[in-house]
Amino acid sequence: MVRRVWGEDFRIIGYYTGLITIGVGLLMLVPMATSLVFREWQSAIDFGLSIVLTLLVGYLLALVSRTRNTPGLTHAMVIAAASWLVAMVLSAVPYVLSGHALSLLDACFDTMSGYTTTGLFLLQDLDHISQGLNMWRHLLTYVGGQGIVVLALTFLIGSTGGAYKLMVGEGKDEKLVPNVRHIAVQIWRISLIYLFIGTVVLGMLAIASGIKPQLAFFHGAYVFMSAWSTGGFAPESQNMLYYHSLPMEIVSMVFMILGSFNFALHYAVWTGNRKEILRNVEIVSFTITVLTTFSLTCLALMQRGVYPDAVALFRRGFFQLISAHTTTGQSNIYARTLVREWGPLGMVALTIAMAIGASAASTGGGFKGIRMGIIFKGIVTDIRKLLSPERAIVVGHYHHIRNNTLTDSAVKSAAVIVVLYVLIYVVGAVVGMAYGYPMADAFFESVSAGSNTGLSCGITQATMPALLKIVYMVEMWMGRLEFLSVFTLFGFIAASFRSLRRQSGAA
Amino acid sequence: MKRRITAYLSVVIVLLALAPAYVLAEEPPLVTTTELVEHSVDWDGKTVSFEGEVLEDVLARSDGTWLNLSDGNNSAMGVFVPRTVFMPVISWTEDYRTIGDAVVVTGVFHRACTDHQGETDIHATSVVVVTQGSTKDNPIHRDRVVWLIMLSLTLVVVMWLYYRKPDKDPGVQRGSREPPSRH
Repeated sequence: MVRRVWGEDFRIIGYYTGLITIGVGLLMLVPMATSLVFREWQSAIDFGLSIVLTLLVGYLLALVSRTRNTPGLTHAMVIAAASWLVAMVLSAVPYVLSGHALSLLDACFDTMSGYTTTGLFLLQDLDHISQGLNMWRHLLTYVGGQGIVVLALTFLIGSTGGAYKLMVGEGKDEKLVPNVRHIAVQIWRISLIYLFIGTVVLGMLAIASGIKPQLAFFHGAYVFMSAWSTGGFAPESQNMLYYHSLPMEIVSMVFMILGSFNFALHYAVWTGNRKEILRNVEIVSFTITVLTTFSLTCLALMQRGVYPDAVALFRRGFFQLISAHTTTGQSNIYARTLVREWGPLGMVALTIAMAIGASAASTGGGFKGIRMGIIFKGIVTDIRKLLSPERAIVVGHYHHIRNNTLTDSAVKSAAVIVVLYVLIYVVGAVVGMAYGYPMADAFFESVSAGSNTGLSCGITQATMPALLKIVYMVEMWMGRLEFLSVFTLFGFIAASFRSLRRQSGAA
Repeated sequence: MKRRITAYLSVVIVLLALAPAYVLAEEPPLVTTTELVEHSVDWDGKTVSFEGEVLEDVLARSDGTWLNLSDGNNSAMGVFVPRTVFMPVISWTEDYRTIGDAVVVTGVFHRACTDHQGETDIHATSVVVVTQGSTKDNPIHRDRVVWLIMLSLTLVVVMWLYYRKPDKDPGVQRGSREPPSRH
């Protein structure tokens, strides 16, 4: 039975959504400062306008729905899903004002892609946008990777009773330390230390590659944010091809892999538990699936003779594969090269890698390594049960931070989420095919959106049908929040209408 | 006389036959990024001409220079200019406030370059600046400044209302019903 919706429910949701919106507004100060540094006056004014508008919406929401009650699980789920939508629309304002987005829908597509660390984009003339807008694009992806709610928890909300539930609603359900605010702080501490290291290393490599020194560290920060957050954006339309630099690609690949790891694993390693790297079920799962999909990629590329030698094959093939598997989306080949040269088998290999994706509670998307590990171990345990004497008790285990017993409910939960991912992949692909795109291309692009990867085979363009844009946006949103909070939002809306009808019926 | 006319005609016919080949050899076809990527196998190893705006950075390396040339909306090609090839002075490169020099490059297209580990690129044999870059107009939209001021004033009022009595709890004061104990 679904419970009734009360006025106070709306107040709790409105109040916390308002606070998160204020956080988004304050975040825009960073790109505005960037524009001021580069003397991009109009861009700075655009950001000023966007900041004021976002803060106004945030404060109005918080003002009209101010409450002392803390969110329950249902509220938390609705807040997470709703605040992502509000953030998507308000963050799109600078895109629209810049004149580089053809419509509000296109701008929202890009901001949803940014927050969900997908990396697909419809922005026009990317090579001529302001540094401020470039900073905003990459900051969206960086914050989206850690989570907007995590950001708000760290700086605005504090350790309220429902804070942990808010984080769960956003897909960050690892309890690193007992205090929820400390979890948020730990996530940000890990990310900011890596940001510093990444910006310095990639910035120096950018200088060595010939990038102007005054821009090199911005390029370093952008590439780092894109890689660590498994986002896939780049400051130029050629993506990683712009740099013509093997060292930058290698370092970026390292950060993609690090970013795709579970925050709990990072925390375990940082607090001295280094053996966890070798034992963790997600790392084992990631290693096996990377080796399998890379073998498939090599087979495809060698069959077609795409690259002249092994070094070229490794540099292009392995980078693309890691980018796909970590759901990053950075690329060192042209999008259409996938279709024109890699062929169906190469695309299938990347599609499988994208579908599986990164680790749970990381910045990445896809099924997640832990679910693959649990389902695989569940199958093995069932086979062992069948082969054992009837009276024998067979129990499966998996290692994630500690040894865990494999329960039927854990296997079921993992399988349900995987089925939901497959469902959105298929829906997106069917809509793509309905618009006349070939099956391999439609599946590739749909899986890329749903798994928050961002590699494109050329379908994602401003000229593509509006419905397909919306379908990809919903895929990105659902994929990033892992369905539950989105379904809860839909359920809450339906329950609200039912309550309204009952009230008017009673009156 | 007849033999002389035949000889002249033969020369003319040979010249006419060779002329297109000569012209083609002198002026390679002007291609775009889209054309090169979509038909990479057909263009692989062929000499082409490519025109584009020099993007933000001229990437100098020990064995040459990389230029990234934009030839349209989100479309650019990497061009490698070896040290042996004359490199003109690039005075302007693209950024938000400037338009970069437009150059025409002639060179060999590589679908998967052996020198650059499979990169799709053009190895230039000549680089010519055809249009010098310039600064862009970056006008301030006054209407947006007005909006900024008006919205800022509204924000100040709303923030004042919000922070006026932070301890006030309207939910409780209005006597609204608490939601069921799910949290």
